[in-house]
Amino acid sequence: MAVRQASLGGVDVDLETKTNVEKLKRGIAEFYDESSGIWEDIWGDHMHHGFYDPNSTVSLSDHRAAQVRMIEEALKFASVPEDPMKKPKSIVDVGCGIGGSSQYLARKYGTECTGITLSPVQAERARALAAAQGLENKVSFEVADALNQPFPDGKFDLVWSMESGEHMPEKAKFVNELARVAAPGARIIIVTWCHRNLSSSEQSLNPDEKKLLDKICDAYYLPTWCSTDDYVKLLQPLSLQDIKAADWSEYVAPFWPAVIRSALTWKGITSLILSGWKTIKGAMVMPLMMKGYKKGLIKFAIITCRKPE
Amino acid sequence: MRLLTHNMLSSNIKGVTNGFPLRIEVEKVVEKSVDFNPDFLKNMFAKIEYKALVEASRIMGYAELPDHAEPSMLESDDFLRKFHHALMELHLEEGTLVCPETGRRFPVNKGVPNMLLHEDEV
Repeated sequence: MAVRQASLGGVDVDLETKTNVEKLKRGIAEFYDESSGIWEDIWGDHMHHGFYDPNSTVSLSDHRAAQVRMIEEALKFASVPEDPMKKPKSIVDVGCGIGGSSQYLARKYGTECTGITLSPVQAERARALAAAQGLENKVSFEVADALNQPFPDGKFDLVWSMESGEHMPEKAKFVNELARVAAPGARIIIVTWCHRNLSSSEQSLNPDEKKLLDKICDAYYLPTWCSTDDYVKLLQPLSLQDIKAADWSEYVAPFWPAVIRSALTWKGITSLILSGWKTIKGAMVMPLMMKGYKKGLIKFAIITCRKPE
Repeated sequence: MRLLTHNMLSSNIKGVTNGFPLRIEVEKVVEKSVDFNPDFLKNMFAKIEYKALVEASRIMGYAELPDHAEPSMLESDDFLRKFHHALMELHLEEGTLVCPETGRRFPVNKGVPNMLLHEDEV
């Protein structure tokens, strides 16, 4: 319980926890410094799940469209206005990867977007990719910490976190920062990996479940997981409106099998061998993600809300 | 780093009450030509801190931007072009951003600012 509380950021973090957090952040930066290239090579610039029709069979060429669909479905879920007067005029991409979402959002709304990542390699790559697409004037990237965003309060009309929340060691702080940098009327969109909601009689996941998640955490530099309910509870005290959450696990089911298949191709295997131990470890743990989803332990969650005007 | 980006960055070190704007120390400025988009500029004008932009553009070597600006000036093509140049076309490739209160230095390398704080600064 204490571990869950600490990971939610509900207690003052002691020195040991602070040191662990620093180690985690370094691990995250190094993991993505090492792995971004190979992902980009095989999958492109979107480093997130695709959104698929349930029980559909998909081929490799469908995945990019599915990743774009994931962005669009998330925006729709959050009711982000498309009206030229009301659409977002400034966007922050929290945990931006190599800028796939940033580019897409900047283009879609015709406005500027800034992305933050812990990985200098990703920031540099994101910048180069945006420039190559002629978006250098619309998107910018900084090396920065989502738990201490380098922006003044109320800066952004759209606060976007696409599959980065699972890396955040102090969920309360993470959520507070998202709310802080959101402008009045802004939408906050969090798409992230969670564990199943606990029933009212449960204090925590059972030992087998924890064991599975621990293995995944180790390979992907993830801190302790929380549930979708936990996110909603963290958002509630922040005077935000229209808090909505959904389980999109059925819409992402084809993703991990597809990633595994891509890793097992000749290109996949040779790239992994050349990349480094962190990336290889990440690849080896992919079947555990599938297992987690199958057991109903891992959930692909979306949580959105709006800052009052 | 364009000055549009600089205009949205602040130092949030623990205890700092006003970490904006960050002071710029220039090592390498590159001017990059960007398509002129009046609508985009008019939207941005409302969102930026103009005084900080003027100061920053001077440090970057561009002194043409007027000290004060009113929204009505956005109708002037001359002003709009100067505003465009300062906001979008001056890039700090290498340099440092300095916290105005603590003097803490944040490096800018290859145009990417590193705003990570140390353990004792959060």
